[in-house]
Amino acid sequence: MRVIDYTIEPPVVEGNPSLSSINESIIKPLESKPTRGWYIAISISLTMLLIGAISLGVTLWKGVGVWGVNQPVGWGFDIVNFVFWVGIGHAGTLISAILFLLRQRWRTSIARFAEAMTIFAVMCAGLFPLIHTGRPWLDGYLLPYPNQHALWVNFTSPLLWDVFAVSTYFTVSLVFWYIGLIPDLATLRDRTTNKILKTIYSILSLGWRHSGRHWQHYEMAYLILAGFATPLVLSVHTIVSFDFAVSIMPGWHTTIFPPYFVAGAVFSGFAMVQNVLIIIRKVFRIEHIITLDTLEKMNKVMLATGMMVGYAYAMEFFIAWYSGNPIEQFVFLNRALGPYAWAYWTMVTCNVLFPQLFWFRKFRRSIPVMFIVAVFVNVGMWFERFVIVVTTLSRDYLPSSWGMYIPSIYDIGILIGSFGLFFTLIFLFIRTLPVVSIAEVKAVLNSSQPSHGGNH
Amino acid sequence: MENKILYSVSGIFEDVNKLISAVKTVTDSGYTKFDVHSPYPIHGLPQAMKLKPSKLGWVTLVFGLSGALFAFLFMYWVNVIDYPLIVGGKPFYQLPAYVPVMFEVTVLSAAVFTVAWMLFIMFKFPNNSHPLIDTEYMRKVSVDKYGITIQASDPIFDLTRAKEFLQSLGASEVFEIYFRESNVKPKIFDKKFILFLGITSLIVSGVTYFILNHLLFMSPFNWMHEQFRLNPQSKLTFTKPETTNLTPVEGTVARGFLPYPYTDRPDLAEKNLINPLLPTEKTLKVGKEKYLTFCSPCHGNFGHGDSRLKGQFPNPPTLHSDKLRNMKDGGIYHIITVGQNIMPGYASQISSDERWAIVHYIRVLQRAINPKESDLK
Amino acid sequence: MSMEQTLLQKKSLPDKFKKISFLIFGIGLLTVIISFFVDSHRFAFNYNILFSFLVSIALGNMFLFAIEYLAGAVWSTVFRRINEIFISFVPFVMVIGIVVLLEMHSIFHWTYKDVLENDEIVRGKTPYLNETFFIIRFFVYTLVWTLFAYFMRKNSLKQDTTYDQNLTYRNSKLSAFFIPIFAITITFFAIDYLMSTEPHWFSTIFGVYYFSGTVLSALAILTVVSILLHERSYFDKILKPDHFYNLGALLFAFVNFWAYIAFSQFLLIWYANLPEETFWMIHRWENGWEIFSFILIFGHFLIPYFALLSQQAKSNLNRLKIVSIWLLIMHYVDIYWLTMPSGFKQLVFGWIELGFIVFCVGIIMILFYYRYERMKNIIPVGDPKLKRSLEFKL
Repeated sequence: MRVIDYTIEPPVVEGNPSLSSINESIIKPLESKPTRGWYIAISISLTMLLIGAISLGVTLWKGVGVWGVNQPVGWGFDIVNFVFWVGIGHAGTLISAILFLLRQRWRTSIARFAEAMTIFAVMCAGLFPLIHTGRPWLDGYLLPYPNQHALWVNFTSPLLWDVFAVSTYFTVSLVFWYIGLIPDLATLRDRTTNKILKTIYSILSLGWRHSGRHWQHYEMAYLILAGFATPLVLSVHTIVSFDFAVSIMPGWHTTIFPPYFVAGAVFSGFAMVQNVLIIIRKVFRIEHIITLDTLEKMNKVMLATGMMVGYAYAMEFFIAWYSGNPIEQFVFLNRALGPYAWAYWTMVTCNVLFPQLFWFRKFRRSIPVMFIVAVFVNVGMWFERFVIVVTTLSRDYLPSSWGMYIPSIYDIGILIGSFGLFFTLIFLFIRTLPVVSIAEVKAVLNSSQPSHGGNH
Repeated sequence: MENKILYSVSGIFEDVNKLISAVKTVTDSGYTKFDVHSPYPIHGLPQAMKLKPSKLGWVTLVFGLSGALFAFLFMYWVNVIDYPLIVGGKPFYQLPAYVPVMFEVTVLSAAVFTVAWMLFIMFKFPNNSHPLIDTEYMRKVSVDKYGITIQASDPIFDLTRAKEFLQSLGASEVFEIYFRESNVKPKIFDKKFILFLGITSLIVSGVTYFILNHLLFMSPFNWMHEQFRLNPQSKLTFTKPETTNLTPVEGTVARGFLPYPYTDRPDLAEKNLINPLLPTEKTLKVGKEKYLTFCSPCHGNFGHGDSRLKGQFPNPPTLHSDKLRNMKDGGIYHIITVGQNIMPGYASQISSDERWAIVHYIRVLQRAINPKESDLK
Repeated sequence: MSMEQTLLQKKSLPDKFKKISFLIFGIGLLTVIISFFVDSHRFAFNYNILFSFLVSIALGNMFLFAIEYLAGAVWSTVFRRINEIFISFVPFVMVIGIVVLLEMHSIFHWTYKDVLENDEIVRGKTPYLNETFFIIRFFVYTLVWTLFAYFMRKNSLKQDTTYDQNLTYRNSKLSAFFIPIFAITITFFAIDYLMSTEPHWFSTIFGVYYFSGTVLSALAILTVVSILLHERSYFDKILKPDHFYNLGALLFAFVNFWAYIAFSQFLLIWYANLPEETFWMIHRWENGWEIFSFILIFGHFLIPYFALLSQQAKSNLNRLKIVSIWLLIMHYVDIYWLTMPSGFKQLVFGWIELGFIVFCVGIIMILFYYRYERMKNIIPVGDPKLKRSLEFKL
């Protein structure tokens, strides 16, 4: 039997490195020339982005008629992708805010990256509602401003709640990320000798000078932001779930949607963070900072959230039967056995079955296994949204108005493009800013805090 | 270098435990204008510096609550006062549906204002011209060293004493830090900066003007001025005709719509067409109604050509002229159908039978004004 | 080791406590018995509430216990023995619950023959809602919970003498298995005992709703008991404000979580406006029941929210104590609000209800007294995390 020593706290960073070596290993990659691997990676992602841009261009030129959406499935890939990407973003805030409040110190090494991912994912997500309006240049009408029509937006519509939720989420995530970056930018400013970079870092770091009087307020602000980001992240996916759940569509209107969506969002987000981190720690050679222990903990979170999602699937089925409502019952049978059954079973397999591997420590700590499972989870969570959006719409109350949804190549092109955008931004980010929070990692090193509190 | 003004004396410390005890000594020695610099936040440092707990929470509370209140009042005003609109059978004032937006606005306002307050009001950022910035001291504390800075403006400050004091506390290096000359004068009024502002504002306003007034009206930003759509019975232009059954067969005639063969031949119309209706009471009633609707605005209620439109159009001739009284029914029918001079044809608005009924009614009017001798008896 | 040596010496509860407990229990029992003869319908509903509340406390503490092991939390190790006292309630609570089975016909009208004959919807649910299966489920819950409670405590207690680190590992594994089983059992428990009192109504979030209250009440009773013992120096001053701060923060978090779940459920039902769901909410908004709806909005969310908002409040022992007691009452009210209107058209609240609350307090005090007296110590002295837990700082 494996013996764990519970009397000591496991270190966040392996090998007890010195403060200056942390600087080195995190900042070094920014100062060296990009490797060939990076160029290959960014060309692939730029190609994907280009495919998306062309598809989007055609959509804008000709209109959303080029998509696969039609009656009765009026929400297709656009909304599926929107929900998917917003969900991806949630892991970032969870890691940076909720785990911060829970004082999980292992979060420090992955928080910066996860926050950046949140911002990029929300950017990808925000794209879809904007373009699915058909005439995105009129999206200004989504904002409540006194316009010449003397009309106001409908504040009681969940679609407008989305506008508020996603824009608030984006702003607060950006602020949170930036606040975390300020000390690191100051460190970069003090380190660089390049004049142009120095100017840029000086402007961005606002003149931060690592002052103890500032750290005090800074930590307070960080705590407050974390305290706000936590309910915010719940509210965002809750409101996304309201888009569906306040309706009376069978399969959409069910009260478990808010927590179920949040759990699913965290689940898929962790999978995405996991995927990208595995690559980054390898390429950057920072395996001692983003340790296997950290990845294992993330796998545990994935196992837990995966089971929450499974619980929701089961509850939906049970209550659909229990409700005695034949339409509700039909919708769920239709999900499992109807024309989109393949999507449903893909979802169940990827989201509920594969993560069960993480019950075993061997698989939790195996990089290839966790990488593959995380990919499956991403696929499964995408299909979850597909199942929710499409199966319900394609077969609603009236059999006379049933229809199938088949995405067009432009739908697929824009989906590829959103991945292109996401990865392009990530690749640019890892070349320009420290992927790990330097100040935070320094603060959790074993020798970096005074040995006897200091205040008594 | 002649105007060098001392900002502070700063000492570097290597070890965090030593730093904390040094900070306690500094605090106890009565210095008030001093600061500690470290590459990361140190637990227990605020207590060692005897700092009061951060009051930032109050800023958050105030801005958060005002955000919630603002959102609530705004939505109430919009939904109940300014533009009440029933949506989904819900009342105008519906608190549960306001909660999500209230929550989001609260978070947005609290988070953004807390950070802005801290950075711009408490820290007075951006401040890149602070004397400590770009010094050897700063470069050290931003990597792995710790530093204590005693400012020259401290009431009990004395250069040599402060230096010795820091050394005695275990500082490995002690720096004297001076104001840079350029710090003293604010740079906001530099010509370069003002020029930069001016050019930026010009570019921004030009681009905004172009986007809002020109770009947005170019393709593909259509404003629904031109749309792909079918008018009833129109020809398909954007899909192959064989893919639909919308285009009628060549020469198809719609029911009840016989083609009118005399469009260009009023003489033949007058000669060949005969009123198919009898002037019954029913017919005349229809004729009167249609006359009053379509003819009377120009021709007047009794056909005198006294337009109700008061000269917006040239008045039409009276219907009681000899020419018209002697014209056969077919002639009048032709004029109603095809039009004459500026009078448009009414074929599309008035059905064939109704047109003949109007002709009967005109005959009635004519006989009423100029009765036949037999009528007068 | 010196600190742990002193901690081994557990102080006994005063005799006065025992006497008071029995007094309260006696008064409660008397009222409860009288109420049975006065109004057996009301008695049965109240008894169901009492039972659900006790399950909340016992099960919630099991959840807290499991989460401590799973998250590797250190600060809570000092409180774990208190958790364990409440965990050991499980078999007793289930014995108390047998009365609900006996009184089934007064509580659940899906057991009535004429309802089954005339009501198609309820008839459709008979594969799940029938007496045999209901009783089977009761014994399944009892068995599963008792077994987990037994093994969890056994491992933890054994460590006091063996100091074996493997026991911690074993309990972590046990906790990992417990959590999914807990999720399923508590959901169906909530459906069985609370939701099915109104067999027409359904809500997928119901299990999560009851769970949120469960954890909140468990945290509250843990907090209030710890503070009371701490104030009477049963803990030998080893507990610091930082430990209590965590309890306060968790209380605050779960107050929010409960509100989030409750509001989500309400908003979705209110917005979609389907009569098959809204009737349940409307019933709780009329005939006097709206008083309890308001009490919940303010008492279960707004008041504790603002009471615990500031950082100082979370480690202010007096405030924590009051808020915890308040939240326990609120959880009782919550269960009352969930079930009582299903059986009574008009608001009912009177001496029977108060008597049951007294009875509930009596049961908890007596069980606590005896379980506490059987404990050898008040903190898990053999736990490898104990030292770190004692040194815990924010």
